[in-house]
Parts: sequence; C-alpha cells; structure tokens
Amino acid sequence: MKTTLIDSPVANVANIARALRVAGADLDVTREPGTIANAQKLVLPGVGSFIAAMQWLTQNKIDNAIHDAVKRGASLLGVCVGHQLLFDVSHEMGSTRGLGLIRGEVQKFDGVLPVPQIGWNRVAARGPLFDGVEDGVFYFVNSYAAIDAPDEIARADYCGPFTAAVQRDRVFGVQFHPEKSSAAGLRVLRNFIAWT
Amino acid sequence: MDVIPSLDLLGGNIVRLLRGDFANVTTYGDPETVLDSLHVPRGSRLHIVDLEASRSGHPVETDVVRRLATRGLRIQAGGGIRSLDDARTWIDAGVEKVVIGTVAADSPEILRAIVDDLGAERVIAAIDVRDGVVRVGGWERDAKASLSEVLVRVEELGIGEALITDISKDGAMRGPSFALYRSLRTNLRIIASGGVSAISDVVSLGRIANVSGCVIGRALLDRRIDLAEARARVATTNAIPERVIPCLDVRDGRVVKGVNFVDIRDAGDPVECAMRYEAEGADELVILDISATDANRATALDTVRRVSESLFIPLTVGGGVRTIEDFRALLRAGADRVAINTAALRNPQLIADCAREFGVQAVVLSCDAKRTGDHFEAMVRSGKESSGVDAVEWCKQAEELGTGEILLTSVDRDGTNSGYDVELLRAVTSVVKIGVIASGGAGSVEHFRDAIEAGGARAVLAASLFHDRRLSIGDVKQFLASEGIPVR
Repeated sequence: MKTTLIDSPVANVANIARALRVAGADLDVTREPGTIANAQKLVLPGVGSFIAAMQWLTQNKIDNAIHDAVKRGASLLGVCVGHQLLFDVSHEMGSTRGLGLIRGEVQKFDGVLPVPQIGWNRVAARGPLFDGVEDGVFYFVNSYAAIDAPDEIARADYCGPFTAAVQRDRVFGVQFHPEKSSAAGLRVLRNFIAWT
Repeated sequence: MDVIPSLDLLGGNIVRLLRGDFANVTTYGDPETVLDSLHVPRGSRLHIVDLEASRSGHPVETDVVRRLATRGLRIQAGGGIRSLDDARTWIDAGVEKVVIGTVAADSPEILRAIVDDLGAERVIAAIDVRDGVVRVGGWERDAKASLSEVLVRVEELGIGEALITDISKDGAMRGPSFALYRSLRTNLRIIASGGVSAISDVVSLGRIANVSGCVIGRALLDRRIDLAEARARVATTNAIPERVIPCLDVRDGRVVKGVNFVDIRDAGDPVECAMRYEAEGADELVILDISATDANRATALDTVRRVSESLFIPLTVGGGVRTIEDFRALLRAGADRVAINTAALRNPQLIADCAREFGVQAVVLSCDAKRTGDHFEAMVRSGKESSGVDAVEWCKQAEELGTGEILLTSVDRDGTNSGYDVELLRAVTSVVKIGVIASGGAGSVEHFRDAIEAGGARAVLAASLFHDRRLSIGDVKQFLASEGIPVR
C-alpha cells in the first residue's frame, strides 16, 4: 500500500520523507487535493506556526481532502504541528480551529521550564502505534501541546503531564519528531505503515 | 527531594557567616520580612540555626522561632543543643524536629536520652564535616568519633534523617560536595547542606542515592535560586534525559581534530562517523565547519546534506555563519539547528533575526570562552582572537535575544582531555534557564558526570575522545546511568 505524504510548505517534508522510506514506505509526496482525498495512508507533517500550517491547508482545500480520505477509511498520522492540526482548536496567538478529527485543545506550556521544549523526553505509551516502544524516549520541539486529551495514547511530562500521542479510530497524531528520534521513531513510523 | 530553606539567626536577625566565621557576618534583616520576601509557602519545611546558641551552648532565639512556628511552617531548629532540656525548650517553642549536632558526634548517651524522651522521629542528626573529619562546637574542634561511626550510631538509635554539611563548601557558592554525599554508605535519609548555589545543584543532589533533601541558605537570600522554580525542576528531573553529543570538526569534507584549535589532523569520513555515532546511541550530532571560508562553503553544505540523509537524530551545524542566508542554507541542507558564533558577537541582532525567521529552537549560540584574569572572555575566529566581551554576560544576553541553547566551549581545555571547565559551566548555567552544552576537555567518563552534576550542563559534547575510540558513547551513557543521571 502506498503512503501519501502531504507536501506542506510549513513542514520539514524532506526529513519525514527520508524517515518514512527507511521505515519501509512506498512513498508518494503530493499537495494535490484529489490524490490526497483518495489516499489510503496519509502523513500530515508540520513545524513552526499552527496558524500558518492551517491556513495553507484551508487555502489549498487540503483540509477537505483530508476529511474525505478519512471518511473513505484512510489512516492518517499527524506529526508535531501536523498532530496539533488534528485537534478541534489551538490557542496559539488567539484561537484557531483545527481539523477537528481529534477532540481537545492545544495550549501553551505553562510553568517554570524553558519554552520551547527542545530535546528528548520519556514517553509512556500504549497501543499499536507504539508496539515495541511503549516506554521510549522521543525528540520534541514544541511550545504548545494538548493536555489530557480524551484520545490520548501516550503522555510525557514537561511543566506537568501533556499528551504526546493520540489515536481515534484510524487517525493518529504524535507530538514528537519520529524522524529525529532514532530507532524508536523509525519503529513508530514502521508501526503506522504496517497498521491496517 | 525536599528543598528546605535554611535561615541562620543571630541577635534576632537573619544572618550568614562566611565559612562559620563570627567575624564575617552578613545581615539580611528581620526573619518574618525575609520569609515573606522568599515566598516560603505554608506547610514548607524550614531549617533554623541559632548561631549564638551553637557558640554558647544554650538556646537563645526561642522567641523568634515561636513566632515563626505560628506561620504554619514545619520548623527544624538547631544550634547548641547540648542536653535534653535544651531539646525540650525547642519543642516547647513549637518546632517539629530538633537538629542535634555536637552531642550526636561527641555524647552518645545524651543523644540517646533525647531520642528516648522525644522519639527518634523528632530528631535530626547534624554532622558537620571538613576534609572527611567531623567537626563540633561551632566547627571549632574535631569530634571524638569518625563520620562512619557517627552515622552507625545515629542509625542504631532509630533516627531517620541526618543533615550533613561540608563546612568548606558552606556559603561559598561553588556547589555542594557531591563526592562526599556519593561516598556515604548508610540507610539514613541524607539532607545535604553547604554550597548549594544553583538549581542544577538541587537536581544533581536529588540524583544521589540516600540524599532525600537539601537545605539552601545564602543562595535563596541572594536570589540566586527561586524556591518554587527549584521545587518544580526537582519534580521533573528524571523525565528528561541528559544528552551525549559527538562533534565532528569538518574541513574540506573530512573530519579533522586539532589541539587548542591548532595542529589539525585527519580523522575520517563524516557520513561514516555520523552513522557509527547514531548506532552507538548519540543523542544529537554537531558538525562544526572549521574551514569556513567562502571557497569552502559549498563543500560544507554538501557535507551537511550527505550526513543528514543518513541521520535520524537532531543535527546542529556551525562554523562561519554570518548572515540569515547562511543560516537558511544550512537548514535547507538538512541541519535542524544552526550555531552562530563570531557573527553574533559582532552583530547580536543576528540572533534575534534568526529566532524570528526560523524559531528559537533552531538557534544555538556557540560561545568559545577563555579564562582572562578572574573572568571568562568570549573569543572570536575559532578561539584565536578576543572579543573583549565577558562570556557569561554574553550568554545571558543571547538568551534574551532568542537562542534556544548555548554550546559553551572552553578554549583553554579544548583537546586537552583534562576535564571540562566546571567553573565556566557553573558561571553560565546558574544565570540562564536555557540548556548549556558542555564542550572542551572531556577525557574520562567522570568528566562527563562532573559537567552535568557540578557544572549544570544539560548535554555533554566531545570530539577526539570518540573519534579515537578511547571511549564509546555507550561507555559514557552507562557510567552516567550508574551515577543516577538519566540518559536515553
């Protein structure tokens, strides 16, 4: 089965593409809504600003294409800001609606630790996406995160517990960077590619 | 890990003595005003030392302590408790526990009488140590018993906690005696005291077996440590692993390594080195382009491209970055973060510009520091030339401008394998909140530990040591883990 990587300009597409290929994906990199709507396995990357990433999705009708694909039974993995885009809303500089595929809200870290979080953090996880890496250490770069999301399958601690990964039916999201998390990250990507 | 504010009383005021010297007193003022200013919450433990009592041998400041006890603080008081009557006087004044020093070391029968009367849970044994020898009587003479004898005696009486102070470190703001606490063989819960002067000291003490708390005096009073921040850092200390980072110094597409930035020799192919390091467990890779002339820039970008293609850990690249466009080119070539050095010293605004354009997480300040007299100076041009800027001040400024982390290299130690410059590291890590990567001087596994434990570094970097396979990254991580330092 092909894996379709959404070619967002607000993302580190080249790095994710490389990691997906090493993890065994037969990869298609595209920003064509028709191709995305008909994909069976989708990856939504993202770095930087939630607002800029969401704007690009709506202006190019990629948001509708993603919804169509998920309705048709495609599986989807959001990565970093791509993970945040799956939620109902983000509170990055005001409130911005996300794709609404995952319940909950994304908010800024609140505490005494430096923001953004930059670095490795231990993740307690369960479920098929984390098969073999239920107690793994992953690489994070983020100032925002969901806290206690209803669809949480993994959590980590930074200024208190936050949601490190979610799953709702066929939609997955990981707040960390699997493409920078060495063997543990490649394992998560491999699990997603193998998941049916 | 209990973080316990410690206040010394003399003549009704909060004071500090430098190394126990009554001739060297700093006064901080009225106890209640000081407590308010430190934001010590209700329910907190508070350590009180009655200094006059420790010299004269009888409780003096009981009225002050009685007032403080009404503020909902769990007070442990000590100084000059020589008898059961003294101990009862403190309990009557409202303290939760008495801290017994001289008597614990010199008069086992009196200690036993106090424990029998008050209960062991209301007694903390205080042991003052200088050069491994227990000191008593206001630190003025050696105790009759050795440290291990005192510890055994205290444990046998059923006392749970011992407060151990390294006198030579007390109030000196150079960090606690990690080696002393690590060497203790006891089942007592140890409260560390003396020299705690940075939040990283609190975190590091918490990683030592048996250490269950620490008292902080001068560093709180001098606002070097914020109590709430210290408590928050301690609560999350084991979730975030400390990182081991190999560095590739690259010139003309080859890895090279020099001593003190000169005397360069070839050490291999960058892609091969990078892949080996990731397999060994490297948490990140740093590439420093040490040629960095315009003619070689294309070669350097190509090296970054080739390395990033086979690397699945974060990649930081530095060397010769002068403009936002240089920065962007390295990110496009596959770097996750870019280190700026000389150009930022000449134009600090470059840090803010890059942070705005690419995000704070992409910006690393590379600071080459050299000892000059009693301070450290930031160097430019690969450590060859002084900038005239104070390195510690520069790191603080860079944090404000928007750097995500600081790569701090000791020019004096680089390539010498004689150990990181822990003093330099402390000077920077105690004044910035962002992470500091220690660089320059690694020669043994203990050096890596010291940079994190005493230096407060959040990552440790080495080049030649790993290239020459004198140590593997696995060796370092295994040792750090055995010392209680979390690694991936």
